[in-house]
Amino acid sequence: MQNNPGLAERFFWAITERSRAIVFMGFVLIVISASLLPGLHKDTRLDAFIPASDPSLQLRNRTRKLFGLEDPMVIALVNEGRHGVFTPHSLFLVEWLTREISKLPNIDPDRVTSLATENNITGTEEGMEVVPFFDQPPVHQSDADRIRRQVMDFPLYLGSLVAKDGKGTLIVAELQDQKQAQQVYQALLDLATRAPLAPGESLHVAGEGAVAGYMGAYIDSDATRLDPFAAIIITLICLLAFRTLRGMLLPNLIVLATAGSAIGLMAAFGIPFFVITNALPVVLIGIAVADSIHILSEYYQRMAEHPEADSRSLTVATMVEMWRPITLTSLTTMAGFLGLTLASVMPPMKFFSLFALLGVFVAWLYSLIVIPAWLALLRLKPSRAYTRSRGTDGFGRGLSWLAPVVIRFPKTLILISLGILIVGGIGASKIELNENLIRTFDPEEPLFIADGVLNRWFDGTHYLDILIETPATEDLFKPENLKRIEALQAFVQTLPHVQGSTSIVDYLKQMNRALHEGQRQAYRLPEEANLAAQYFLLYSASASPDDFNDIADYDYRLANVRFRLNDGRYSVSKNVVEATQKYLDQQFNQPGIHADLSGRVNVDIHWIRRLGDTHFISMAISLGLVWLMASLSFRSLVAGFMAMLPVVVTILMIYAVMGFKGIWLSISTTMFAAIAIGLGVDFSIHTLERLQTRIRRGDSIDAAIRNLYPSTGRALLFNFAALALGFGVLSTSKVVVLQEFGMLVAVAIATSFLTSMTLLPALIKVFRPSFMTGKNTRLSITSTIGEAS
Amino acid sequence: MNTLLALLAATFFIFPDGASGTELPSGDEIARRINERDEGLAVSRQVTMEMTEASGKTRIRETQGFRKYYGKEKRTMIFYQSPRSIRGTAFLTYDYPEPEHDDDQWLYLPALRKVRRISAADRGDYFLGTDFTYEDIKLETRVSLKDYHRNTVGESEADGVHCLLLENLPVSQEIAEELGYSKVLQCVDDRIWMVRRAQMWDLKGQPLKTIHFRDIRQVQGIWTPHLIEVVNHKTGHRTRFRFANVDYQAGVEDRIFTQNALKRGWRR
Repeated sequence: MQNNPGLAERFFWAITERSRAIVFMGFVLIVISASLLPGLHKDTRLDAFIPASDPSLQLRNRTRKLFGLEDPMVIALVNEGRHGVFTPHSLFLVEWLTREISKLPNIDPDRVTSLATENNITGTEEGMEVVPFFDQPPVHQSDADRIRRQVMDFPLYLGSLVAKDGKGTLIVAELQDQKQAQQVYQALLDLATRAPLAPGESLHVAGEGAVAGYMGAYIDSDATRLDPFAAIIITLICLLAFRTLRGMLLPNLIVLATAGSAIGLMAAFGIPFFVITNALPVVLIGIAVADSIHILSEYYQRMAEHPEADSRSLTVATMVEMWRPITLTSLTTMAGFLGLTLASVMPPMKFFSLFALLGVFVAWLYSLIVIPAWLALLRLKPSRAYTRSRGTDGFGRGLSWLAPVVIRFPKTLILISLGILIVGGIGASKIELNENLIRTFDPEEPLFIADGVLNRWFDGTHYLDILIETPATEDLFKPENLKRIEALQAFVQTLPHVQGSTSIVDYLKQMNRALHEGQRQAYRLPEEANLAAQYFLLYSASASPDDFNDIADYDYRLANVRFRLNDGRYSVSKNVVEATQKYLDQQFNQPGIHADLSGRVNVDIHWIRRLGDTHFISMAISLGLVWLMASLSFRSLVAGFMAMLPVVVTILMIYAVMGFKGIWLSISTTMFAAIAIGLGVDFSIHTLERLQTRIRRGDSIDAAIRNLYPSTGRALLFNFAALALGFGVLSTSKVVVLQEFGMLVAVAIATSFLTSMTLLPALIKVFRPSFMTGKNTRLSITSTIGEAS
Repeated sequence: MNTLLALLAATFFIFPDGASGTELPSGDEIARRINERDEGLAVSRQVTMEMTEASGKTRIRETQGFRKYYGKEKRTMIFYQSPRSIRGTAFLTYDYPEPEHDDDQWLYLPALRKVRRISAADRGDYFLGTDFTYEDIKLETRVSLKDYHRNTVGESEADGVHCLLLENLPVSQEIAEELGYSKVLQCVDDRIWMVRRAQMWDLKGQPLKTIHFRDIRQVQGIWTPHLIEVVNHKTGHRTRFRFANVDYQAGVEDRIFTQNALKRGWRR
């Protein structure tokens, strides 16, 4: 990009001519975007992370609709005493909780399930008894023991409603309106605190219904904490950098415009606020101030060097110098976000990067138009950070000790980087794709603890559903089909972490036993289709019409088999899903019966697998776009390549850490790379641009390197501090994914900053690429590539 | 409040002349008249049960039913005729008037070739996969005297016929929980003293069900609904009972209500 000072200068003179109008318009735009904010709505569902078009999600939703599978709230009562929950007090507590939960708003009393609501079906000599396990809670331990014997002899409830060792039991409540989950979850927590517990008893509130509510609360508490925190940190950094009021406030104005317009546009387009959207304002705060830090650094340095200049000409001169690097870095950052937008599978991430891209654009626009308008309007007031005699302050001088190191040991620096590249490559090959969604929550959160309790004492909270389809009404009752389902259940239950399952088969066996005097050996499938049909008619003798909704459809043509896993890790689910799919393909599916995997477990493994698959693609796209942009900007492929080097070193270094420390490639770690590329490359571009400018103005390479640190280096230091601390703020988020994401990006930015400050000048010194001097670009490509290889 | 409004409306619109002299019969009076209506000592009828899920899927079951009073004790037999898979399944129930005396119930599953006695269902339990509870079925077109306090709360219309609005409130929380209703509002045809519409509210006061008694015709001098429809407002599930070949005079024999008859089945 050939600089045209005439045009740029004319442009900034024109801008400063209309300062008041521009300053006014700057405010108007902020007010307009603020007015859009109330239209924003939250989407805290786990499903929001998955594209609505994903086939596994669609099948899961179909299964849910067919079988009325809602996300219930669950209260687990655990009693670690000798009798488990089968004590008069614990059973009283179950009854009390059931009664109290039924009274809560948004809970349908008919859809609350516990030991206090369920019937025992037993066979007697002359017939069958269907009676509640208890009408009134027992008074004596002997009665509680009798209830224990009955429950333990009722396979359908073991592991699902009651812990297999009797130490725990669940009260399950379906919500009438899932949107009210947050309130119900809170009400249940209150209920748990006021429940009269005996020693040894504990209560835990869990269930996927609670998760969405939880996320909502997380978003609110994060937003009210993170954003002000990030803003304060940025303001302090600006204060430290410039020690003037305008140096503090102007960057904040850009922050308001950038974050406001990005979120305002989200609201205007009806894009919901997802859990990870909380990172957007924080990210934008860091990005938005970077441009103004560079402009103000140049502005104050010039002011110190030319104290006689008037406000307007100083502003114009500053902008003429700075518009190019700022435009270049904005373009490369936008290219990085574009890569993520194009490749990401998660809708929240797609929108995150899209609106971050828009925010970067607005920051660029404000930096080039509104900042000069303000600077031209304000009276000149030097910054104490810059003085004529000593150049810059301690920060600039402190960075300058890097100059002799780079000038003396350039080859060592290059070798170190090469070493990092090789180790990183090895580390990257060891990275394992894995995720566990419960990790989203702080391990000390009651929900996290409750999840642990459920997975420890019960069959588990992770559901794999299998949707069985047969061609005609009542085909499910055919003995061959029932046997096939029975065998499927037996097979899947042999897989690790599959703890239990429920299907139409279990209900038929139970009924068969009850009608055969309760003999244990009669716990088997009926051998005639008509008998199965008659058993279900018998079940309906006192069941509500939709009691079996969750296991079979109304025509007895479709069935749902639900498996419960006690481990939510992707690696675990993947094994189960793959083995089950193989079984279905090879042994189960045939004309007359067909099964498909469904349920949350199947959805999760599909999208996390895609997340892993697209991770490297999205990174390649981001790298490619950023390289293209940098090459175009410097009109040199070599320059583009050099600009990429610090980010490549950075990413490989993080991969090395992940690979060797066994950190998973997960939601957070797939998110960081593209963003680290877009932001990290800014440091390279500022560095290369400054060196190029100085060298083209006649400086020797060593002189240009010495000049780099107090000027651009100092600005980059504050740029780095703003970004690193901005992302660092995310590590205080309540969402663990965001914590990790923030930390990774902060570390990546630090590495990019350091690499830009060391590796790039060293490379320039050793290879002397010709794009630096601008004499013969074409020749320089071949020569440098030749040298590099 | 609604009651008050209904009363006001009744006063102003139905008796525009302010003819307050014509007082509505009391709730107890209406209930007495309903229960005095002849229901026949015994009846034989074909009942088609049509159950429809919220999604629209329907189960249709053809049955042959018999009912006979033995004093205040009531015996019912239901033989399933279709679909084929449950053909021959039969339920026999003895309802005893004393509340402390649990009902007796037997069933016959032809595929098992055994008569089994099954424990009595609770009054509020659903009846054979329909939207009726056992209590609804037991009462048929009558009303329970001891479970509710009754009030006449106004007048209305059901299927174009004038009727009195009878509000029933359970006498105790316990009874309410047993029945599953916190309130029942019936629209009573005061010409033939038959309930034409009943609305039920659940224990939390939310609308639960509406039952319509339709196609009411005299059979052998006895007023008989030929279609009973019920919709559950919470689940969207609905049930239709269609009655055909209703006969009060066929001489329903006592031996129909025995375990042997269960096994033998019913043949036309």
